[in-house]
Amino acid sequence: MDWDKLVQLLVNGVTLGSVYALVALGFSMVYGILKLLNLAHGDVLMVGAFVGWGVLGWLGGAQDPTVAVWLVIVLMILAAMVGGGLLGVAIERFAYRPLRRAPRIAPLISALGVSFFLQNSVLLLFGANFRSYDSFDLVDVGVGVDWGPFHIWVMRIVVVVSALAMMAGLWLLVTRSKLGKAMRATAFDREAAAMMGIDVDRVIVKTFFIGSALAGAAGVLVGLVFFQINHFMGFNYGLKGFTAAVVGGIGSIPGAMVGGLFIGLAEAFSVGYIEDFTRGRLGSAFSDLVVFLILVVFMLLRPQGIFGKPEVKKV
Amino acid sequence: MRNGLIAAGLAGLVAAAVVSAAVAKPAAQAAPAQIAACTNVSIGFLGPLTGPAGFLGQEQLSWLRFGVQKYNKANGTTFKVALGDTQLKAPVARTQARRFVSDSNVLAVVGGSESQAVVVSGNLFEKADLASISGSATQTNLTNGQFRTFFRVVPNDSIQGPQVVTYVAKNLKAKNVVVIDSQDDYSLPLASAITRGLRARGVTVSRESVSADDTDFSSVVANVDSNVNVVVFATQVASAANTLSNQLREQGKKAIVFGTDGAYSPSQFKPRIGYVSVFAPDPHFDPNARALIREYNRYSKNKEFGAFGPATYMAGLVAMTAIKNACADGQVTRAEVTRQTRRTNIRSIFGGRLRFSAKGDPLPTKFVIYKISNGKYSPVG
Repeated sequence: MDWDKLVQLLVNGVTLGSVYALVALGFSMVYGILKLLNLAHGDVLMVGAFVGWGVLGWLGGAQDPTVAVWLVIVLMILAAMVGGGLLGVAIERFAYRPLRRAPRIAPLISALGVSFFLQNSVLLLFGANFRSYDSFDLVDVGVGVDWGPFHIWVMRIVVVVSALAMMAGLWLLVTRSKLGKAMRATAFDREAAAMMGIDVDRVIVKTFFIGSALAGAAGVLVGLVFFQINHFMGFNYGLKGFTAAVVGGIGSIPGAMVGGLFIGLAEAFSVGYIEDFTRGRLGSAFSDLVVFLILVVFMLLRPQGIFGKPEVKKV
Repeated sequence: MRNGLIAAGLAGLVAAAVVSAAVAKPAAQAAPAQIAACTNVSIGFLGPLTGPAGFLGQEQLSWLRFGVQKYNKANGTTFKVALGDTQLKAPVARTQARRFVSDSNVLAVVGGSESQAVVVSGNLFEKADLASISGSATQTNLTNGQFRTFFRVVPNDSIQGPQVVTYVAKNLKAKNVVVIDSQDDYSLPLASAITRGLRARGVTVSRESVSADDTDFSSVVANVDSNVNVVVFATQVASAANTLSNQLREQGKKAIVFGTDGAYSPSQFKPRIGYVSVFAPDPHFDPNARALIREYNRYSKNKEFGAFGPATYMAGLVAMTAIKNACADGQVTRAEVTRQTRRTNIRSIFGGRLRFSAKGDPLPTKFVIYKISNGKYSPVG
């Protein structure tokens, strides 16, 4: 057993999984409240990544930031959260709310339209060139935690800790706050919640804001740890985040977190070991096959996901 | 209900792919041999304007447009450019190729930029007698006679593969190499040829594979042993080569990245130490090209370019010269343009004259290898 490789893959998987978990949370929150799959969610991540990149440039760039590096990172994440959140609210207001009483396929198609709109808007605004966060200039690759033969770059730790902090914050918000209670009530029964005096529209708007803010933050974390951002990056992260949400149990917040980490680890380990397990028949290119095979297996054997509850239909 | 909606979601994602593949209206596979007037002529551009290689296609388009306006001004012609965005996807490229075939104003196509686009469009263009001239498709088989109306202004991978092998084995003295492909018609044959060539020279080679739109290679890097000297990355996405290089550093691996021509981009691929091979010399290093670069910089807002744009400028020049010659009597057919393209003999911006072999390859050319030190490029071979 190559322990170096195993630990490295674990680190990679947890980093990737943290990002997927943040994306999955947005999918799950919106699904929980509206029973809507927000397929433009990955593109909100992409916009967040560009907002973060803009803030980085505004603060002097990675090579010569005008404020402390930690403050640069915090401001990038905050700006992306605000930008992503406001974008999410706008998407809800203009693309989904008018279709709330329409057949379910209508908002799904609207979501696809929003996705293309966002991708092409960013393409027009910023061009097709990939943009780099130049994270090695921001934080040198040598800065990090050394543990035996392993070196973990501090940016990976920043990504995982930030993601965990945001997940914990969301968990507290949903379980301990008045807004969280209103969100849970709306998710349970929208009409009954409205009859109990809850302003359902406001709860939906806030849910979109929070879910999209998490996606915006995820965009910055992707840029910080994987360096490059581009106008179509949202599709892949959206797809994997959606898979994570389904595997974890769509509508379940702990499910989204666990699903994200599960998919991230599955992807990392399949890249690392698929060739060994298949005796060279399949290579690392088939890692996505493994990820989506997991999705298919869950859909067949446990469609409600790890934390979801089977839906009981009154007949 | 929940499962139904999830299934609908999956269907929606599939629909997204279908919608993106169907951006152009379908057209019949006509082979218009009709005579066209020379007053309303378009040159099709078939390349990735969006998607992971969008930066490459945009650079090519910018240089093509620059060439067209320069040529029109100098020759009193009124050539226009018709766009065909392939998104780096073969099915989309075929749809766009059909559109060009059915548009009788399109008398020549510049592209496909990527080999897979040529693979899927070559037969369509051949049936329509439509000349296509690529400034970047390098797969060797494209000029084995299967597409008789296809030409390219850059050398092919039968030259690139051995050049890379020689440089890696002889100059870099690598003993352990990882070769990574990106699962497409360009990268797979090239990566295989490099693998075979290196093994024949006694180099230990292992293979990895990534997807063209991957942005994280940290788990692939985990597979790179510490005794590996060089990672050869056959990619069409320069920023991917940059990320790979960064992640090798992050994991403390000593291996350096050697990118193939798709990785050539001084603005996107900026490793601390690395190499890249490219099909045409970058004009930035040619004192004779300074006037052209100045002119281009005045024309274009996007001043970042490498070798892709100028090579496509040459391809456009070939197309326009052929159409102009075919239009000598005021009328033109696509077949005449193809014949004129075959007879090309023009001054190349890369030095010397550009002519084509019977199979459509340029005569004679070689790849240029650049060393990259702290992001700065310098030609070494």
